[in-house]
Amino acid sequence: MAETADTAAEQEEVLTDQDIVTGAKEPSLKPADVKAPELTGDIQIPHLVKGAMAKSKCHAAKPETMEAMGFPGRLVDNWEEAAVKKLGELLTKYKSLQVYLDICVRCGSCTDKCQFFLGSKDPKNMPVARADLLRKVYKKYFTTEGKIFGSLAGAAKLDLELLGEWYTYFHQCSQCRRCSVFCPYGIDTAEISMAAREIMDSIGIGQKYVNTVLVKLHEIGNNLGMNPKALKATMESTEEDIQEEDGVAVKLPVDQVGAEVLLITPSADFFATPHIESLIGYAKVFHQAGISWTLSSTASEAGNFGMFIGSYEHMQKAAMRIRKAIEELKPKRLIVGECGHAWRIAYAFWNTMIGPLDNSLGLKLEYPRPQHICEYTLDLVERGAIKLDKSANDDVIPTFHDSCNVARATRMGDRPGGQFEIPRALINAACNRYVEMDSDTIKEKTFCCGGGGGLLSDEILDVRVQGAMPRMQAYHAIKEENGANFFALICAICKAQFTKVFPKYGIPMIEVGGIHQLVAKAIELGAKE
Amino acid sequence: MAVIEYEGATIELDDDGYLADMNTWNDTVANALAEREGLSPLTYDQLDILMFMRQFYQKHSFFPIVHAVCKNVRQPGDCVSDEFMDPVTAWKIAGLPKPDDEVIAYLKR
Repeated sequence: MAETADTAAEQEEVLTDQDIVTGAKEPSLKPADVKAPELTGDIQIPHLVKGAMAKSKCHAAKPETMEAMGFPGRLVDNWEEAAVKKLGELLTKYKSLQVYLDICVRCGSCTDKCQFFLGSKDPKNMPVARADLLRKVYKKYFTTEGKIFGSLAGAAKLDLELLGEWYTYFHQCSQCRRCSVFCPYGIDTAEISMAAREIMDSIGIGQKYVNTVLVKLHEIGNNLGMNPKALKATMESTEEDIQEEDGVAVKLPVDQVGAEVLLITPSADFFATPHIESLIGYAKVFHQAGISWTLSSTASEAGNFGMFIGSYEHMQKAAMRIRKAIEELKPKRLIVGECGHAWRIAYAFWNTMIGPLDNSLGLKLEYPRPQHICEYTLDLVERGAIKLDKSANDDVIPTFHDSCNVARATRMGDRPGGQFEIPRALINAACNRYVEMDSDTIKEKTFCCGGGGGLLSDEILDVRVQGAMPRMQAYHAIKEENGANFFALICAICKAQFTKVFPKYGIPMIEVGGIHQLVAKAIELGAKE
Repeated sequence: MAVIEYEGATIELDDDGYLADMNTWNDTVANALAEREGLSPLTYDQLDILMFMRQFYQKHSFFPIVHAVCKNVRQPGDCVSDEFMDPVTAWKIAGLPKPDDEVIAYLKR
């Protein structure tokens, strides 16, 4: 006994500042122990439980990962000074950040809008409280009233405790921007959370999951670390599966120079379940439309976690692989598969970041550049170029979960709201029995899956399960009411998150799938009339 | 690094419980790793799955997709999850190195 106590005391002594901030020496969460709340169909505003999530911290990146990303390997000695300097730089670089930090009037409109607050009951997960963790540091070092009146003006020095709160709570935000929809001033809390993560990386405390994935993306070309040989082997084996199942030689071409379409899709589509079912759907659509297409083995990832850590440089570096692939493969059209944040980056950033995506790269100007796969497929259906047999999905009662980045940061097609209408129209073209969840939980008011923004790692499964709660309640309600049994998605992260949390809520994971999974089932293959 | 004893054999594991050297894998090692996951003794069906995963890894330095595993060992499409709970557990018992976080995020149930 005495020896154990000594060892414990010794361990206490060697806790570094970094350990305190990242909780590195705290016991790890056991995913099996995470329990979901009971589903009632109602989303209740909870009674507050202070500090409920204070100990839920994501793992910190190892020094070699941080250094590979160009960040300090561990928490730098002069971290307070370095963090304030970095914040100063960001305020100059992103004027919006300063505006968001200045204009909050504490109206409280955002407080009950965040799924992580609703699920966790922790008041620091209210968007305004989360933003205040950074805002009070901004006030202390960058505003006159904060410098003079200190805490009376809501200002606070960045000390170790506060930095620990940054590390905890800025990694319990999925940057989904639901709160921004309800903010009368339009404060984009995701941008604040991105800035906080950028500052933390710059002083040497980065999140393990996102940073290791980015290192892999830069090195191999996709988040999974799937090398070109494995990708080709996997695509060949999937071609065989389709041939066996449907008796049609649908191809999944890789690195075909001169193909009409270059498809950029999340690497999970090559590999994970149910993601691969949507990949099969895209392939069948291209096959039946008679369009030549290709994947790239070096730009084999639509996802780009650079956004999650607020790093324009890493976003650009990752996206440059796609430009290179366009130059090498010379496609005429650029289409993006089912992925939420990837579509935001493709839609809102590619043209300025790696473009312009125009005829200088050989792309045809008459098509959207890039184009979302749902828009592409729906157009073929509407023109009669492919036919969908809805009755093939008569065992399915689908509902659609809008992914946050698609819903609140992008558009599809040529009309406002196309990002809501096009996926729904495509599901309705493939199924007879579509049902819609509660109107407060869809379209621009959609809840995040609970795993976006880089939160898809197991050590914070408690955060993920709680964050999924509002969406699970809405799905439960529509199941009770209308018998919904298929949760249609257009995001790789949503798919991975829900296959993991559905069973926690007592719902079979088989109900999770992509829109193109439904298309794959309904599409009529073979000779056209 | 940890060392475990199993039926007279000494087996070295890394910090996360994965086999330190994949080339030291054999039936005994597989059963030792399976026991740690609460899955021993292994059946022939399970061993077939493990062997295929190892072959694929040796050839392609990557995880095979679950479909491909089951097809190649002529077992039903959910064979990996049915036999091992999840593909990452199967991978671990197959004595292969710890997969990347993103692979675990997409496969670990």
